[in-house]
Amino acid sequence: MSPAINLSTNRDDRRTLVVVFLRGAADGLTLVAPIADDNYHKFRPRLAVKPKDAVRLDDVFGLHPNLRALEAAWKDGDLAIAHGCGGESDTRSHFEAQDLMEHGGMAAGGWIGRFLRTRGPAASPLSAVALAPTLPESLSGAPSAAAFESISEFVIGEPGKKTKSDDFERELKRLYAREQGPLGAAAVNTFEALRRIEAIDAKATPANGANYDEKDSFARGLRQVAQLIQADVGLDVASVDLGGWDSHFTQQTLIEPLMLRLANGLAAFRRDLGPRLATTTVVVMTEFGRRVAENSAFGTDHGRGGAMFVLGGGVKGGRVLGGWPGLKPEMLEGPGDLPVWNNYRDLLAPVLSRHGADAAGLARIFPEYALKPLALYS
Amino acid sequence: MSSTSRREFLITGASALALSAAIFQSVQGWLGEARQYAGAGLKRPLDGPLTPPENPEIDPVAHALNRWTFGPGPGDYARVAALGVDAFLEEQLAPEKIDDGLCDRATARFSEAWWEPVGEAYEEDDETLSPILRRVALLRAVYSQRQLFEVMCEFWSDHFNIDPGKGDARYTKIADDQNVIRKHALGNFRGMLRASALSPAMLWYLDGRANVKRSPDEKPNENYARELMELHTLGVHGGYTQQDVMEVARCLTGWTVLAKKNDDFSGKLLSPFKDRGKVVFRKEVHDDGVKHVLGQEVSPGLGEGDLDRVIEIVAAHPSTTQFIATKLCVRFISDDAPPAAVAAVARAFADSQGDIKTTLRALFATPEFRSSAGAKFKRPFHFIVSALRATNAETDADRGVISYLERMGHVPFRFPTPDGYPARAQHWHATLLWRWKFALALAHNRIKGTRIERDGLPRLLGGDAALMATLLNRQPQADESDAFLKSGDGLALLLASPAFQCC
Repeated sequence: MSPAINLSTNRDDRRTLVVVFLRGAADGLTLVAPIADDNYHKFRPRLAVKPKDAVRLDDVFGLHPNLRALEAAWKDGDLAIAHGCGGESDTRSHFEAQDLMEHGGMAAGGWIGRFLRTRGPAASPLSAVALAPTLPESLSGAPSAAAFESISEFVIGEPGKKTKSDDFERELKRLYAREQGPLGAAAVNTFEALRRIEAIDAKATPANGANYDEKDSFARGLRQVAQLIQADVGLDVASVDLGGWDSHFTQQTLIEPLMLRLANGLAAFRRDLGPRLATTTVVVMTEFGRRVAENSAFGTDHGRGGAMFVLGGGVKGGRVLGGWPGLKPEMLEGPGDLPVWNNYRDLLAPVLSRHGADAAGLARIFPEYALKPLALYS
Repeated sequence: MSSTSRREFLITGASALALSAAIFQSVQGWLGEARQYAGAGLKRPLDGPLTPPENPEIDPVAHALNRWTFGPGPGDYARVAALGVDAFLEEQLAPEKIDDGLCDRATARFSEAWWEPVGEAYEEDDETLSPILRRVALLRAVYSQRQLFEVMCEFWSDHFNIDPGKGDARYTKIADDQNVIRKHALGNFRGMLRASALSPAMLWYLDGRANVKRSPDEKPNENYARELMELHTLGVHGGYTQQDVMEVARCLTGWTVLAKKNDDFSGKLLSPFKDRGKVVFRKEVHDDGVKHVLGQEVSPGLGEGDLDRVIEIVAAHPSTTQFIATKLCVRFISDDAPPAAVAAVARAFADSQGDIKTTLRALFATPEFRSSAGAKFKRPFHFIVSALRATNAETDADRGVISYLERMGHVPFRFPTPDGYPARAQHWHATLLWRWKFALALAHNRIKGTRIERDGLPRLLGGDAALMATLLNRQPQADESDAFLKSGDGLALLLASPAFQCC
C-alpha cells in the first residue's frame, strides 16, 4: 500500500471513530435508568432517578434529566444504548478493568492500536489522536498516534510561540521538494495537513449553532475533534476521556455535573458535525458499572455491567440493544451487581466493521474472543 | 542484594540496624538519582580529531558509520577514517573488548535489574519496569561505543518481539533482554532461538506457558508454535503446514513459567520469593507421543528433549536461512532486499550454522551493501538517536525524549504484535512532522532532560561548514548550504532535512 495518499481526495470515504472513556466506572443505572422497574426503586430508595424527572426512552428506561441534551439524537435514531456492558474482569479494580478493556483482553497493545494496524501505514500525521496529556493504552501500538491538549500543537515548532519562522518552513519545503519518491509525497501530505490545521479558525463560531461550553475541557476536546474532522486532515480515530465517575459517596453531587458535561458536549458535537455525522461514530464506554443497591453514604460501589452509548452515522438508534433481563435480586452477580451480558467487544465490533475492519481484522483486534456482534446497524 | 529478595530480606532479616542501613542506601540512591537527573557528565568527550567528511558523496567510511551505528557523532568519522573500515567492523564485532564506561555510567542506576535473578523483578511495581526498559535501550543506543552490537540488539528485539504489557512479561522482559537478546545478539542464531523458546517473557507473551496436555482430549495451545515458524524461523510462506504447527505445539507442551500467582498452568509456586518467573518442564502435562515436524520424526519419550529436536529442525530449515538473510538485507541494505545479496548472506548463514558475525561479515562484503549508501529511511528511534549523537547531546532518555517516540509510534518495547516494529520505510513516512518538531526542539534546547551546546557545537567543530558535513556525514550540496543559511535555523534545518532522515 502506498502511503502517498493525497489528503485532498479522501473526504468522502474517510470515517472517524471517536471513543469517549468515562474513567472511574460510571453508574449505568443512573445514566440510563430502568425507571419502570420496581426493584430499581427498591434498591435505590434515595438515588433512583424519579420517573417524573427522567427523559423517557421506552417502556423501561429513562435518561437521567441531566442527559436531556441527548434526547434529540435518540429521537432522530442516531443514538443507540446497550445495558449490561462490560468485560471479563471481575476484580472490580479500576486499573485492571480499564487495562483489560483498553487492551481488548489479555492481548498486548490497545484495541484501537491494533485496529489502526489492520489498515496499514498511516497516511496522515493526524491519523490517531488523544485529547489527553498522554496516550491512552487503547491507542498503544497505533502507527503514529499523538496525544495533545490543543490542536495548536500541530505546527512546526513550539505551539503559540514565535519560534517557527517562515524562512525555516520555506527552506524545509524546498529541500523536500527535491525528493521524488514516497518521502517527497509524505512531505507533501504533511505540509498539506499543517496548512489545513492552520486554516482552522480557532475563534470561529461552531457550525449549525452548536454550543460548546468553552470552560469545559471535555467540550473543548470534542470541539477540536470536530475541527479536525471538518478540516479533512485524515483523522481515523480520536480518544477523549471524561473522568471522575467513581461515586462511592454522595453520588449525585459527583456525577450530575459530569452527566451535563457529557450530554451537552456530545449534543454540541453532533450539531457541529451536521452532515459529517454520517461518517463519524462516537462510542461512550466505561470500565464497569456500579452496585445495584445504593450504599449508606448516598453512593454506589464498584459493580459489573454498565451502559454503553453509540452515536453516529448509520446507527439504527432510538433503541436499547442487547436485551434487559430486569433487576431481579436472584440474577444479580457477586455482591449484588448487574451482570455483564453484553461484552463491550460485541458493540465495538460492528462499529469497527463500519470503519473498515473485515472479519480477519476483527479476529486480530479482539483475539481469543468469539465475537457475537450486536445488530447496531440493522 | 542478589541471593535474597528485597522483600525476603526485609521480612526475615530485619534487625533494626540492617533496616536502617537499607533505608540509608535507598536515600543515598535517591540522592544519586537527583544528582544525575541533570544529565551532568553524560556526554561523549570530544578528545580526538573532529575532521568531518570531505567527500561530496557518502564515502565508505561514512556509509559504515551510517549503517553499523545509530549515527555518527562529532569525531567518529575521523576516528574510523584513521582506523579503516575493515578494522572498524572487526572492532565492532568484538564488543566485549570495547571499553564502554560512558554507557555504563549512563545506565548504572538501572543496571541492577539486568543482573539480578528474574524473580526479583516481581518485587518492582508494575509501572516501573517498562520505563526502565525503554530508557536503558535509548541510553545504550546513544552512549554505547558498542554500536553495531546495539543495532543488532534492536534488530533481534523486533525479530523476537515481546510487548511487556502482557501478563507477567512485564516482570520478565528485562531477563529476556539480557539472556536472549543481548547474550546472543552477535552469537549463534540457534542458541538465541533456544534461549527465546525458554524465556519466561516469551512463554507468557505467546502463551507457551499455557500449552499443556492435562487430559487426552486437551488440545495444545498453538500460539507460540505458529509464531516460532511464521516469524522466528521459516517465514509465513516457508513451507510449514497447520499440521506442523500442531505437532510443534505438542512437542513443546509442558514448558511453563512459575507465575506471580499459582494457576492452572504453572502448578504450585514453591517459594513465592525465589521461584517466580522460573521456567520449568512439567513432565506430567507433556505430550510424549511420536510427532512429525516438517517431515522429520520426533521420537516418543524424549520428554524435554523434544524442544531441542524442534529447534534443530526449524533452525536448520532452508526457509529459515532465506528468511533471516532477507530480513538482515532489508535492515542493512534496502527495503527491497537484493536477491544476490540475500543469496550470499544465506550461504554464510547456512555454512556457519547460524553464526551471526560470519553472516554479517558476508552481508557487509556484498557489492549491494556497498552501493546502497543513503538509501535507507531511518525509523523514528534511529532518527532520534542519530540526532542526539550528531549533536553530542546530554540526555536522561526520560519522558522529554520518549514523548516524541510515543508520537511517532516507536517507543522501544511497545509494539503489540509478535512481528515487531515494521522494518520498511512506508510504515514510517507519516512521522515527518514529529521529526521536524523534534529537530527544532532539540536545536533550541526545549526537550526536558536533554541538552546540546547550541552555540558551542559549531565553534568546536570549526564553523558552519564543518557542522554541516558532520551532520550530513558528507559535504553539503549547494541547495543544502543555501537552505542552511536562509532558514535562519541551520542546525534544526539539517536535522529535519531529507538527507538526515536517511542513512
